[in-house]
Amino acid sequence: MSRHAMRRAAVCVAACLLAFSARAEDDARAWIERMSESLATRNYDGLFTHSTGRQAETMRIVHRVDEGRSLERLVSLDGSGREIVRTREEVHAYLPDRRVVIVEPRGDDGSLLKSLPTPGPALDRNYELAVGPKGSRLLGREVRVIDVRPKDIYRYGYRLWLDEETAMPLQSVVTNGIGSPIEVIRFTQLQMKDRIPAHDIEPTVDATGFQWVRTGRKLAAMPQLPSKGGWRPLRLPPGFRLVASRLQPIPGSPIPAQHLIFSDGIAAISVFIEPGAQAGPRPPETSSMGSANAYSTNLHGRVVTAIGEVPAATVREIANSVVPVQESDIPADAPAGSAR
Amino acid sequence: MKPSAENEMTDQIREQLSALLDGELPPDEMGLLMRRLDKDPGLRRTFGSYALIGETLRAPGGRIASPSFAACVSAALDEAPVLVEKASAARPGAMVQARQHVALWKRPMVRTALAASAAVSAVLLFRPDVTPVARLEVTPASSFAMSASPTPAQSQRLAGYMVAHSQFSTPMVRRNVLSSLLAADPGIARVSYEMGEAPWQ
Repeated sequence: MSRHAMRRAAVCVAACLLAFSARAEDDARAWIERMSESLATRNYDGLFTHSTGRQAETMRIVHRVDEGRSLERLVSLDGSGREIVRTREEVHAYLPDRRVVIVEPRGDDGSLLKSLPTPGPALDRNYELAVGPKGSRLLGREVRVIDVRPKDIYRYGYRLWLDEETAMPLQSVVTNGIGSPIEVIRFTQLQMKDRIPAHDIEPTVDATGFQWVRTGRKLAAMPQLPSKGGWRPLRLPPGFRLVASRLQPIPGSPIPAQHLIFSDGIAAISVFIEPGAQAGPRPPETSSMGSANAYSTNLHGRVVTAIGEVPAATVREIANSVVPVQESDIPADAPAGSAR
Repeated sequence: MKPSAENEMTDQIREQLSALLDGELPPDEMGLLMRRLDKDPGLRRTFGSYALIGETLRAPGGRIASPSFAACVSAALDEAPVLVEKASAARPGAMVQARQHVALWKRPMVRTALAASAAVSAVLLFRPDVTPVARLEVTPASSFAMSASPTPAQSQRLAGYMVAHSQFSTPMVRRNVLSSLLAADPGIARVSYEMGEAPWQ
């Protein structure tokens, strides 16, 4: 074969590989979109185990779609009795072991489709996406295994076992930078239903005498920050962009916190900047909850907390880089203001 | 002694719990059992014990995730044999395999071995229809040592942040985040560190 022919063959092979890779990533993205749509728009009632390095618990999830709104009840069946109920307007977290109910307004505007995530064309800049072959089975169902592997160490990976018919995730595994599982959710029962009764979404916790803590209110009722400008992290991992910012009331404080939300299309990171460093941790604190990590520190007379389903080092670096900025410093495309 | 009607009912419910975890509960019995679980904290605890044992048996590679997890398993095993045995007696045909393992659990050496290294083959005992598509060993998410339990104020503050944050997560990640919130209080590590450049700079 001549050198010219060999070069042409090599180009053809490379083009085929690229095309195959692009198609595989498109397929994976389509599966992820189907999964997100199923989770948000179908009626289902399931039991699953939630396992981390420290514990395993059994939980029940009931998801109901009512007049285009996604309603949900998530309850721990293993003793604590904690429940989280997403009503039409609010999210209620019942913590009977603390005798507290945390109330947060719904962050979406009620439209199911608007509340869906959009993996977007940039997803493959930060993740390698792959779809496994047909033939795997889980819970007696045919599933497709979707791999979402991070291209760097600043975010986690995911392996998803999606039901071939409904794209519901029958098992999902969050993996760290070296591919080791750090959180597993595995359904033991999952029923897809035409209709879920309204009472299945109602809380079963008797909250009589509990403290009701409202951590958020509608923006229209919110006090304004005392000065113009805001706060921004100077350092963000590649691919994360500001998707929303809002004011977050702090119980007992007349001044709200600034809440910034960054996303890379899959993972999200919230940064809360509270006034009054005296209420903050000294020295800094790192917290871990399943695959979510949080980091709190005192900076510039503020308590800065970053929280997200990313490695601890990522939230730490982001929190430590937060600085006050003037309005003119904020990029024009940043959707500063309200996420509502 | 002839069991009372109340005990018989309890045994029947426990048998249903086992069947539920085994994926063998008929759909028409599911709704009533779910309502019972909602209303009865004791039944939820029993169900949690069953699930914990099942999870242990499913533990990939026979590894228990952590010493505290192993302690939970050991505690659950302490009460499990009686419960499962009664369920076995109520439906001997369906639970015969489980009863054989209950007998094994009564032996201290085997109990210890189970808590330390559950056999992968037992996965198929509890979920015969499941193809083991992956062997998973769950490791702690953070490399930081967990040195303290949070105070109630810390816990409440973080819980509030978690709920607020979850509003902006994808449906799957939101479920993960809220499940973590339900599962337990976070571990908090107070760390000293030196300011440095972010690794992605």
